[in-house]
Amino acid sequence: MKLWETFRFEVVYQLHRVSTWFYFVFLLGVAFLMARDVFVAEAQEGNYFLNAPFAVAQVTLVACILSLLALAALAGGAAARDVETRMHPLLYTSPISKAAYLGGRFLAAFSLGALIMTAVPAGLIAAALLPGSHADLIGPFRPAAYLSAYFLLALPNAFVAIALMFSAAVLARRGVASYLGGAFVFFSSVVSWQVVAVLLGHWGVAKLTDPLGLTLINELSKVWTPSQKNTLIVGPQMSILSNRLVWVGVGLGVLGLTYLRFRFAHVAADSRRLGRKRAGARLPAADAAKAEPTSGGSNAASARVTPLAVPQVQRTFGFATRMRQTLAVARESFRVIMKGWGGFALAGLGGLVVLIGPFLFQDEGFPQIPTTGQFVGFLEQPGEHGMWLVVPLLIVYYAGELVWRERDARLGEIAGAAPVPVWVSFAGKFAGLALMLVAVQAVVMAAAIVVQARMGYYKFEVGLYARILFGIRLTDYLLFALLAFVVHVVVDQKYVGHLIAVIAYLLVAFGPQLGIEPGLLVYGSDPGWTYSDMRGLEPFIGPLLLFKFYWAAWALLLAIAAKLLWPRGTERGVGPRLRVAGRRLTRRTVATAVVAVALVMTFGGVIIYNTKVLYARHAAPSGDEWRAEYERRYERYAGVPRPRTTAINLNVEIYPRRRVVEIRGTYDLVNKTEAAIKSVHLTTALGVETRTVGFDRAATLLMVDENLGHRIYTLETPLQPGDSLKLNFEIRFDSRGFPISDIDASVVPNGTFFGAEWLPGVGYQRGREVRGDGERKRFGLPPRPEVLAQDDPVALMDVAWLEPIKFEAIVGTDAGQTAIAPGALRRTWVQDGRRYFHYATDAPILNNIAFFSAAYAVREARWNDVEIQIFYHPGHALNVERMIRSVQASLDYLTRRLGPYPYHQIRLVEYPGDRRSLYAHPINIRYMEGFSFINPEAEPRGIDLPFATVAHEVSHQWWGNQLVPAPVVGAPMLNETLAWYSALEIVEASYGREHRNQLVGAMRASYLSPRARAGSPLLRATDRFQWYRKGVIALCALREYVGAERMDTALRHLFERHGSRTPPLPTTLDLYKELQAVTPDELRYLLADLFEANTYWELSTKDVEAERLATGEWRVTLEVHARKVVVDEEGVETEVPMDDLVEVGVFGAAGDEPTSKPLYLRMHRIRSGEQRITLTVMGEPARAGIDPRNLLIDVEAGDNLAKVTSRPAP
Amino acid sequence: MELQIRKLAKTYSNGVQALKDITLTIPQGMYGLLGPNGAGKSTLMRTIATLQDPDAGSIHLGDIDVLAERERVRETLGYLPQEFGVYPKSSAVELLNHFAVLKGITARGERREVVDVLLRQVNLYDVRKKNLGGYSGGMRQRFGVAVALLGDPKLIIVDEPTAGLDPAERVRFLNLLSEIGQIAVVILSTHIVEDVSELCSRMAIIDRGEILLEAEPLAAVAELRGRIWRRVVEKAELPEIERAHAVISTKLLAGRTVVRAYSDAQPSNGFEPAEPDLEDVYFSTLTGLAGLATPTSQATVPGVAR
Repeated sequence: MKLWETFRFEVVYQLHRVSTWFYFVFLLGVAFLMARDVFVAEAQEGNYFLNAPFAVAQVTLVACILSLLALAALAGGAAARDVETRMHPLLYTSPISKAAYLGGRFLAAFSLGALIMTAVPAGLIAAALLPGSHADLIGPFRPAAYLSAYFLLALPNAFVAIALMFSAAVLARRGVASYLGGAFVFFSSVVSWQVVAVLLGHWGVAKLTDPLGLTLINELSKVWTPSQKNTLIVGPQMSILSNRLVWVGVGLGVLGLTYLRFRFAHVAADSRRLGRKRAGARLPAADAAKAEPTSGGSNAASARVTPLAVPQVQRTFGFATRMRQTLAVARESFRVIMKGWGGFALAGLGGLVVLIGPFLFQDEGFPQIPTTGQFVGFLEQPGEHGMWLVVPLLIVYYAGELVWRERDARLGEIAGAAPVPVWVSFAGKFAGLALMLVAVQAVVMAAAIVVQARMGYYKFEVGLYARILFGIRLTDYLLFALLAFVVHVVVDQKYVGHLIAVIAYLLVAFGPQLGIEPGLLVYGSDPGWTYSDMRGLEPFIGPLLLFKFYWAAWALLLAIAAKLLWPRGTERGVGPRLRVAGRRLTRRTVATAVVAVALVMTFGGVIIYNTKVLYARHAAPSGDEWRAEYERRYERYAGVPRPRTTAINLNVEIYPRRRVVEIRGTYDLVNKTEAAIKSVHLTTALGVETRTVGFDRAATLLMVDENLGHRIYTLETPLQPGDSLKLNFEIRFDSRGFPISDIDASVVPNGTFFGAEWLPGVGYQRGREVRGDGERKRFGLPPRPEVLAQDDPVALMDVAWLEPIKFEAIVGTDAGQTAIAPGALRRTWVQDGRRYFHYATDAPILNNIAFFSAAYAVREARWNDVEIQIFYHPGHALNVERMIRSVQASLDYLTRRLGPYPYHQIRLVEYPGDRRSLYAHPINIRYMEGFSFINPEAEPRGIDLPFATVAHEVSHQWWGNQLVPAPVVGAPMLNETLAWYSALEIVEASYGREHRNQLVGAMRASYLSPRARAGSPLLRATDRFQWYRKGVIALCALREYVGAERMDTALRHLFERHGSRTPPLPTTLDLYKELQAVTPDELRYLLADLFEANTYWELSTKDVEAERLATGEWRVTLEVHARKVVVDEEGVETEVPMDDLVEVGVFGAAGDEPTSKPLYLRMHRIRSGEQRITLTVMGEPARAGIDPRNLLIDVEAGDNLAKVTSRPAP
Repeated sequence: MELQIRKLAKTYSNGVQALKDITLTIPQGMYGLLGPNGAGKSTLMRTIATLQDPDAGSIHLGDIDVLAERERVRETLGYLPQEFGVYPKSSAVELLNHFAVLKGITARGERREVVDVLLRQVNLYDVRKKNLGGYSGGMRQRFGVAVALLGDPKLIIVDEPTAGLDPAERVRFLNLLSEIGQIAVVILSTHIVEDVSELCSRMAIIDRGEILLEAEPLAAVAELRGRIWRRVVEKAELPEIERAHAVISTKLLAGRTVVRAYSDAQPSNGFEPAEPDLEDVYFSTLTGLAGLATPTSQATVPGVAR
């Protein structure tokens, strides 16, 4: 009965509060918006319905994260309201048991939580019923999805969260301690997901340690096919159920602990803190207890009257006093934060950085050097890993605590009557919070330096840390802190204030991902920035500063609002507060406000001028609408015969500091068709100014469309077959102004890189069309296959976009920089303070050109008559030597096995960017700065990744630049996969078998991260994983079965037949034909399994027994299990009978590697199902199994080998 | 039913010795606990009210061991603390109803009656539906009284109850208490001497954790007859007078200083005999001039004189 009454009373009490319903509506709105708008892109790309069960689960979990704020308020209230309102003496002396009290309160909090969580499925259902503009993405309504999402996902999450929050608040006796429980839940979840699972790869563990289930849904999003996402309900899976069980258990455990620890006892108010002051300060002996305040009514009696001797003091109230008072308040506020959770969080953050730091510097297991530039990138991207949300949460929390400090301690009235102007309180508290933020950044910087030092890297670049951590990030924090302050001043309720401030932060930080563009109306936003060693903070720094000044002006206005509305006095209604605000509007305040408004207008005006006027003049349109329009208008000209470019001659002037590029150029066009060409269609690039287009013969401009970049010229005399034509043009790229986001960083004071995108193109450009079925439907365009079929006749003949050309260019740039373009460097000279380079190709190259300009350091070498050059940023020299060696080894191998290198120079050029991506243009191979940070010395497996990657890129000069695949499905197999195959051969030639095996093993490790097994066969490979990993592994497997020599022969034949770029262009079918030609009959099945079907083997060794024979040999018996399945693109698995040749190996005790010293390694015929294999070896066996080298494609690679158990000799 | 406190001791973690070996027997009726601020009154009250653990000693209410059987005590306890708050967004009748259930009054009809009666008794019936957040200090105090009186408690502890009340409210409150004192053990802990003198048939004076005096007020006053003297002096004369005589209190009367002194015989000139009152008992006990133990009808350990 008493439990019921406690429960009932609490529920009714909270239901009467407006805030409870606010939380409900908030969750409803959030779920609705997320389901309808925010996750649309994901659903479109992932090809599943917006209301698919998977999408329902996903939105539910994200809503659970936000619900933590609301649940904290409910739990904190239920747990600690008695103590906070001081009603606990009345309650604790009532005859109620601990169980009834705590139980009733907890159940009330949980029921309320369950109630407001129903807002989530309600919002989801509403989104499905009112889909707005995405009605086509709505699938069938599955009530089970919503029920499962609520009961198996949302409700257990709420239970765990509330259990932890309730316990925290009960034991700490403060309502806000519930936030601690919430923070624990949130951060355990995020760390489990981002660090344990994504970074470290321990998905199994992470799925259990994640209380919210984010890891689980992320794994499903990777493993499930679109049709699974549309049909399978998320929830009844084993992994999810076990996770729920674990965490509900944790929740119950914590509640039990709370029950045991809780006592109905008097709450001694902070006896610990005061104790230090009072200890020893006993009341003085006989003068104690004098001058007692007696009740009103009796005379002011005292047992003794000691005459008061109050010392006379000078009191001043001038500006200096105000400053001192502000400083005193600031010091006090800072101390409060540091002694409370702020200090912990600071230490925790530093500890977290030190712990997690080293793991940030490895990419797929390959360590990198921890440069400061990269580190600040990790530290400053709030979306990254979610860990850095600690600081904004601290800001929100402490802004609330500081604003409410006096009122919470019931000192509000005393403080309010003190002769301290409001701005002193505000400025002082804000300064205290600001000091904390400075301390945070200092701790983060120190921790980062510690991480670097521990990894052996000592180029700390403190100045860079200072610029980014204190210059940029601190400013962002301060702006947000001011907003948090103002929210708490205006909103009269602490919990609601916290919620609103957090929402404001999320909107700014994650706005771009949610579709909210930064802009003049999104507080604190800016166009974004990245740092690179080569280009520094250019070109972002200018617009960034402008935006920050603009927001600083707004912050000033906010500060004025805070001062006007600062809570002082006891009136809490809106009317009285506005009246007080009016009274506080002094002349100085008004003047400051006017100044602030003027600043807002000024900076805002400059920004608007830059974004909407200067930039808009030359900007390319954003979004995809223009692409659809382009296709609608001009696709009809796709088949019009067009002349081919045979030569390009350019004069390029790069002005890095002005960020301008001017190009004057000529194309030589030839009519290679059989008909006369009457009109020439020209595609001009958007975002640049194309002027003065002319031909060397009479032509009239029929139509020009500047907005979409299409022109049609009619030739007076049609161009006959075989005839040629010259096209002249001038182009100017200018970066005046800037866009509101995604500032173009191609042309910068150091580190310029641009390709041919600004040059005009001949004919209709298919590359501009909208991609993706869903997107095309949205624009009303007919569906177009992403890739063409392998027998598409046009594709087989189509070399249009990469026709071989003669190239010549004179490139001018700043005196201190080197400009690089395709071809041999004929001459370089200085003129008018600028440096010029004349490049010209010796042999035709594919029309895939790029230009670079920066202050490079250069390392030169040779191989035969080929000049090797590496242009790198000074200071990024770590891997240059290896790269040179790799180029030499690669040129050697590829020239011998495939054919000569057509040119006399090969270059590697560094350009800005923090990933390790490379791309092989003809002659020039570009690589991003991230590539120079790979640290092969620290690689635990000894793999020289730079060497291997450069070998891959050099291989592209054959596979891709000489052998050009037809643009059909599977084309990348012929350049990427073959380039990696050749690179592996080069690695083996230079470093040996073992090293190559390590590298292949690393590639195989990609299987270990969760992945759907559904897919197309390799011959029609459609995704990166197949081209870069699975295809390579398949070729390597074939190599082990068929032999390296035969593979070599097949590839050489392929190259000889198709390496001359003449149509018909090769497809994967041609590769397959060559492979078939070298594969013996009995292995043809393997070839088919690997390439014609998406085959997975499931091989495992159950048991191995060994028996020593009388002859001294050992008889080894293996129990193995084998199974082969084919998985289609929908994920449907079909078992196929197996009768394959599989290696069986037995290994001795020495070493752990299966490839070392096999006692036995031979092919056996293995059927489907269980079987026993018996063999005899010389020497004591330790481990044995089937397919010990993991040649075949088996997702579970770890169960192929088993330890030998000895049977005693008979 | 009487409350027996034996050798109760409590030292806080900051070193303050709040209770030093307290031994008291409190019979049914109004019992006053008088003492200055910081004497240990609230600590003692809270310990008896099961909210605090003593370091040593025992408390028995009839046959209930208070320290061991808290639940049983709470079933018959009414506690009005010195400082307490209420849920601001609840109304008086709602919250009192809630407490009624917690105190075991489960039958709905009976509960409604009890709640109504109590609200009338404390004069809150007219504002019973208003939110407690809007109550004045006195009204909140009265609400606390109502909560304390729920369920016919046999042990009622009121800690500094009249400190915030205006004269009329104080009189009403004391009247209410005196009625209840007929049937329960009521401990009134206060530093306002008038409350004790008006209401209590027995009292104890406590200072710095020790019981200085345990007596019946009238008897204690009678003891002082003939030993209290008063004199009107100028402020400048005060230090000398204090040096020469055992001054127990100095008061102001219409701007002039009136000194009361303790002496067995007539002190120097200027002093006239005064009729002693409980305040004199209080001050003289506190200053150590009179620390008398008056044995009561039951055998108790005498209070310790300083």
